[in-house]
Amino acid sequence: MAAVRPADIAAAIVQTLPGALCVSSLGTATSALRSASGDGPHLYLGASMGSALAAAMGVAEAVPGRLVVTLLGDGELLMGASTLWSVAAYRPSNLIAVVLSDNAYGITGRQPLSSPPRFADVAQSLGGIAGLRVQDDEQLRTALIQLPRPSLIEAEVTDAAWPGPLPFVDPAVVRLAFTANATGVNGPGS
Amino acid sequence: MPDTRLQGILRALAGHRVRMRSLTREEECVGYAAGQRIAGGRPVVLMQSSGLGNALNALGSLAVPYRLGIPLVVSMRGTLGEANPSQIPMGRATVPLLGALGIQAFSLRSAAAVRQATDGALTLAYDAGECAALVLEAELGGGRETS
Repeated sequence: MAAVRPADIAAAIVQTLPGALCVSSLGTATSALRSASGDGPHLYLGASMGSALAAAMGVAEAVPGRLVVTLLGDGELLMGASTLWSVAAYRPSNLIAVVLSDNAYGITGRQPLSSPPRFADVAQSLGGIAGLRVQDDEQLRTALIQLPRPSLIEAEVTDAAWPGPLPFVDPAVVRLAFTANATGVNGPGS
Repeated sequence: MPDTRLQGILRALAGHRVRMRSLTREEECVGYAAGQRIAGGRPVVLMQSSGLGNALNALGSLAVPYRLGIPLVVSMRGTLGEANPSQIPMGRATVPLLGALGIQAFSLRSAAAVRQATDGALTLAYDAGECAALVLEAELGGGRETS
């Protein structure tokens, strides 16, 4: 089986769902989404660890006519895991969460998580979220299209190679590009 | 977020068919509101002062640097009439913490001041892209101190 890197997972998302609004958590996920989309007009978080799924849910409910995909580190989601309960409660039908599952905090030096989070199992147990663990590119692409939404796809990373671009984004640039993508007009305060 | 004084606001909003979301933590509320704001929505976050500590990272590393003007309604604990010692340090720190992040806070002590302050805070947030906090002080009543 071919190695699965964070950049491969991000590439599968932008190739399979090219019109989606994407939201990436800090660190590896933001670098991977920048790499895969060629710095496309997505919401790249530069910090605020634990907030990415909540932000993606806010986007999803603000623009219900658009598909929203959030790419999350597993340590990131562990820090904001209670948002899974909110997703289960309000069930935005245009939201997909993809978790980079490597059992480590990537950008801070690959400290291991204390235990495997088993997010797909948690999502399934909550009800209202379709949870699935995938092991390769084909399974991921199929799940992105076929899973009922909201969904949580736990994508196994077998090669944690750093995707490439810096994850330290310029918030002003990100905000203007993303708001224009989501709404067709410039951002708040502009 | 849960708070005795905020209950009255929530009841009034329910009568206006405003979409409300009860989330799990103040930080999550700010993250959710940031997503709404950057996608063109007009959210308001309502929380108790004791929960501001939970929200600081999302405010300081998402809402403020991305200039996602989010209005905050913060119901005070730990001031006049507070009987719970555990509420007092966070109450004392609420406005200084907001100020340290560059978020202006406007204290409301009478019903007569509410409309002008609310209009002004919403303008700061939605037009100028600045987070702004309306601080509901104990003198307004309706809080835990008076129950």
